[in-house]
Amino acid sequence: MFSFVSQNLQRGRGFELVFVIIVGILTYLFYRYGKRGREWEIRPLEGLEAIFEGIGRGAEMGRPIMVLPGIGDLGDPQTLAGLTVFGELTQRGAEIGVTTLSCASSSNVIAASEAIARSSYTAAGKEDLYTTGKYIRWFGGDQFSYAVGTAGTILAEKPAMIVFLGYFLMDVVLDAETGARVGAVQIGGTLGNLAYVAMFCDYLLIGEEIYAASASISKDKMAISTLAGQDWMKIISIGLMVVGVLFMLARSSVILDVMRW
Amino acid sequence: MAASFTYIRIYLVRTILLIGALSALIGYYIVSPEADAVYTQINTWNMNIGTFTLFVGLITIFSRYGSNIMKRGKYWAYQLYALVLMIVFIILGTAAGLYSDLYQTAFFSTKITLHVAILGQMIFFMISGAYRVFRIKTLRTGLFALSALVIALCNAPWILSPFPQATDLVFWLLDNPAMAGRRAMVITGGIGGIVLGIRVLLGLEKGALRATE
Repeated sequence: MFSFVSQNLQRGRGFELVFVIIVGILTYLFYRYGKRGREWEIRPLEGLEAIFEGIGRGAEMGRPIMVLPGIGDLGDPQTLAGLTVFGELTQRGAEIGVTTLSCASSSNVIAASEAIARSSYTAAGKEDLYTTGKYIRWFGGDQFSYAVGTAGTILAEKPAMIVFLGYFLMDVVLDAETGARVGAVQIGGTLGNLAYVAMFCDYLLIGEEIYAASASISKDKMAISTLAGQDWMKIISIGLMVVGVLFMLARSSVILDVMRW
Repeated sequence: MAASFTYIRIYLVRTILLIGALSALIGYYIVSPEADAVYTQINTWNMNIGTFTLFVGLITIFSRYGSNIMKRGKYWAYQLYALVLMIVFIILGTAAGLYSDLYQTAFFSTKITLHVAILGQMIFFMISGAYRVFRIKTLRTGLFALSALVIALCNAPWILSPFPQATDLVFWLLDNPAMAGRRAMVITGGIGGIVLGIRVLLGLEKGALRATE
């Protein structure tokens, strides 16, 4: 049995597979718990609170809000996180009459954003307000054309809040500084270029917070229950790290070998 | 009738997503030529859709800009300039070829010039951003400023020359607290990404997959 598994498994990816399966099982288990009525509370995140305030600010000032999923493609989980938040904010904004704008670099992300905006307006019961090309702007696939186009949109529309959630490079410098100039509240979250995002944004979502953001915004019980599974996985990972360090101190590479399986 | 079409659309999209995700996962973890073939096929669809959306984007830009130019709306002159450039590049690309000297020279002499202009502008933006951060209004910005200051000072020749050990401090900061923080973000980000994927597949994330249910 073991040799059969070893033969059919890609070399060095066995532990990863087990890890992904455990994450999947735990997430599904907690989802089932959630379905049975169990509830979890999420610790308040400064960045998420600011998002709620930002929508209200947009309504009070009569200005739009903006969600930027960055220059990544749909295969990037960070872009997906940005798009899910965009969907949530578009729906909430549509309910209270706040326009949500977005700019993307990849043509795939543009198509997905349009579909999400349409669905969100339909879910809010305001499908008549949706027009293709009105809320999503595309300025080409290049990083700098995206940055300049978005900065132009920020200057023209003067959004009350800008959420940077996705994969960013130098474009964030140009856009976030422009956002600061027009007085927008800025919330940022990314895994790569976090230093620049931290430098320009008022609030920051760090690490997995960017993936939990949409679930937290929607306050959907089932989505939040999956975050509990995620927390258990973090505890397991920390435990694995501690055990690994102890083993390495005892000059044993058992944990390392298991991880390289 | 419309509702049933919505359901078909939602579940069709979810089924394609599931097949795509499973074929990618199986191909990555298990030696399976069949899964690889399915993944390659889905990837080809993805590329086709990408090309198609590019055309949709072009048509949208032409129709939106065109109507605004006709009405002499806001920023119509910039939009006219963009449309003219797009048409010129389309003609150049199709007539002379994408890899011809003419097209490459035209493309790089406009694109690279613009890139350099933007990069030059960014330096001022960074200084402005750094000024705001280093005003030190909270403990967090204080720590941010302190670590930046230490690294900047330790890289300055007038510190490095009398105190060559300063490099050790810089590398200690980068290799220990900074690296630990980065790894924590990558690990938790990885777990968060997997769980987000599961939420999308379960239909718990709103958006194109679920919002109209």
